[in-house]
Amino acid sequence: MRNDLLTLLRPRLLSVFKSLKPSKTGKSWAKVFIFSFIGLLFWSGSFFIFFRVLTYFQSVEDFGNILALKLLSMMMIIFFALLIFSSIINSLSQLYLSHDLPLLHSLPVSSKDIYLSRWFSGTLDSSWMVVAFSLPVFLSYGMIYSVGIGFYLVAFAAIIILCLIASSLSSAVVMAGTIILPAGKIRTLFVILGVALAILLVVVLRMIRPEQLVNPETFASVVIYMNSLQALDEPWLPTTWLTDAVGSALNGKWKHSFFNLALAASLSFTLIYINQILAGAFYFRGFSRAQTTAKRLFQPLNFRGRSWEGLLSFLSRPARAFAVKEIRTFFRDSTQWPQLFLISALIIIYLYNFSVLPLDKSPVGTIYMQNVFSFLNMGLAAFVLSAIAARFVYPAVSIEGEAFWIIKAAPVSVKTFLWIKFFIYYIPLLILSEILIVASNILLGVTPFIMVLSIVTIFFLVPSIVALALGMGAIYPDFKSENPAMAVTSFGGLLFMLLSFGLIALVIILEARPVYQLFMADLHGRNLSVIQIYHTIFSFSAAFLLCAASVYIPLRLAEKKLRRL
Amino acid sequence: MIDLINLTKDFKTTLAINNLTLRVRAGEIYGFIGPNGAGKTTTIRMMGGIIEPTSGSIIIGGIDMKKNPVAAKKIIGFVPDRPFLYEKLTGMEFLKFISDLYEVESSGMARRAQELLTRFGLWDWAHEIIEAYSHGMKQRLIIAAALMHEPKVLVIDEPMVGLDPAAVRMVKDILKDLAAQNVTVFVSTHTLSIAEDLCDTIGVIHKGTLLAQGTLAELNSAAQTGQARLEEVFLTLVQEM
Repeated sequence: MRNDLLTLLRPRLLSVFKSLKPSKTGKSWAKVFIFSFIGLLFWSGSFFIFFRVLTYFQSVEDFGNILALKLLSMMMIIFFALLIFSSIINSLSQLYLSHDLPLLHSLPVSSKDIYLSRWFSGTLDSSWMVVAFSLPVFLSYGMIYSVGIGFYLVAFAAIIILCLIASSLSSAVVMAGTIILPAGKIRTLFVILGVALAILLVVVLRMIRPEQLVNPETFASVVIYMNSLQALDEPWLPTTWLTDAVGSALNGKWKHSFFNLALAASLSFTLIYINQILAGAFYFRGFSRAQTTAKRLFQPLNFRGRSWEGLLSFLSRPARAFAVKEIRTFFRDSTQWPQLFLISALIIIYLYNFSVLPLDKSPVGTIYMQNVFSFLNMGLAAFVLSAIAARFVYPAVSIEGEAFWIIKAAPVSVKTFLWIKFFIYYIPLLILSEILIVASNILLGVTPFIMVLSIVTIFFLVPSIVALALGMGAIYPDFKSENPAMAVTSFGGLLFMLLSFGLIALVIILEARPVYQLFMADLHGRNLSVIQIYHTIFSFSAAFLLCAASVYIPLRLAEKKLRRL
Repeated sequence: MIDLINLTKDFKTTLAINNLTLRVRAGEIYGFIGPNGAGKTTTIRMMGGIIEPTSGSIIIGGIDMKKNPVAAKKIIGFVPDRPFLYEKLTGMEFLKFISDLYEVESSGMARRAQELLTRFGLWDWAHEIIEAYSHGMKQRLIIAAALMHEPKVLVIDEPMVGLDPAAVRMVKDILKDLAAQNVTVFVSTHTLSIAEDLCDTIGVIHKGTLLAQGTLAELNSAAQTGQARLEEVFLTLVQEM
């Protein structure tokens, strides 16, 4: 059995080792550099934030330690929620949907071994990032509390155990799902998951109420405040045991720490053992059901009746053909829908945050603060747009998959193909972004000038971001990807995010000074000087040219690349 | 109808096609045979406009593929060796998509789609998503799609792979019918009996070079194999190289 497991894991291990080997071209070094740079940036950013927060907590009399432990508990719950979600997605993909599974099941190995090998690689896939980004959290705790190596070992063991528990629970849930749901509907799980995560996210955020924890004045009494700090610390939750294990190690209570660690470890081993037994009995049945073609949740529209073609009849025929194909593919692929739910949750939280901003408590003038926030809001809205573009627009070319030959063989130039794709995504994203910016500006109660400026800036930024996403996705296409949603974590995806953030930052920087001058002149009822007028014209023209270049250059490079393929 | 002139494709690590020149007349069925890795699919992909040649030209119906690819593609029906399609569309929707790309006259589109789907035994599956089709059904759907716009030239790579005997017979009959209607068919295949039975002219390619071309008698003469079957001629030509 052990030999079978190792054999089953070997292709995966070999692929990893081969991908780590440096190639002769400089490209792979550029990739390594960019990935390391971004990783290091996020890593040090997390460390910096936690270090600052914990340092601040230490300065709060009496409550400092309680707050630090509360934050630790919150982090454990957030890590656990993230691990559960990514493990469920990974379990579905690794155990039921991956293209190499039919080959594996045809081999003379038990389905239990296949299950274990895939569960193991799925656990690694879903956990490594959480483990990597938990380290700065624990490092900042360790440094603030000046603890020894023992604490770090306990913290590392705790996060590994958390990963094992989350992964075992998730694959058990997925296994149960494949038995309960009728054959062919496994993908529907993705939809349920998307909704569940969106709700979970909002509920957890609201339950934790992080903004109130550092402000005891908002609570009626110390007792209520202390109670709120105890919220969610349920004794039966493994996250509570692991928080206790790490917290006790922080305070040198080793016996208590090891007891909790052992408790959580025993749960993780028990779960793995139970899963193995369950897999022997049920895994193959679930896999076999997943092989049947998914039943459609939506029946196709009547060919002769009202259809997408009718609604889009104003477009040219090739453009309409692509648009209709894109819409149908999107709505029939239930793996896409959870992304929509997530984005909806993101937008609701985004707008909610603006609605609860305590502007009236600001020591600076309310109108000034409203407009500063609104100006920064343009950037934030554009960042949200970048994230959406990364998920939907970046994979737009790769999503053609192996069927890309149809485009190459069709009497439509690559340029036309790219521009059609551009407009398919540009229109809905423009509408979404404008709604976002107008709604948040209304919540902020900004001046008409800032409102117009925001609308115009977003109007010019949207095509740039869409073209950048589409272009980069075409320059770094992956027609063989099993999950185009993951394309954004590729080299090209990260490069797009970097370029997009750079573009947004540049546009905001270019606009900042003239906007400040215009705003102050308006506030004080005076005219701009000649230099200020020239400066304003220059800044806005430069921002416009930057946006125009960001549309033209990526699409031009993409066209060249696709033509050469 | 098809002119390949000094066509070369160099993948840097491999010289896939080396200075290939051939001509196919209108209404002719040209069989392109060769061992694995000989350069058949590369040639066909260049003819379909999927990949660019390193040098040389491809003239289809008098149109240079490099200078005017859109016009050249309009008169080509292209069938690749592997049936990758948009899995979330139904068979009928896929034909509609292809019709829109090739700007097939709207009024006759539905009738022609129904006619082709019926002819290829897919009408009962017309409104099912392609994901549910078998390999052979996808292959038949691709051939149907390639015929939607009534092409003047049909470029088809390994048409019989994955087809059952009845479908093989059907495709052979369709290709013969098309040639009779003056459609030029360029077909690559590993199945030598099919090439022998179907093609007017056969070209043998090996390591990117055209070894010989002509009728079976002309190939026999080139290989000095007397009255041998195509299999023996082919093996002799390839072994000599």
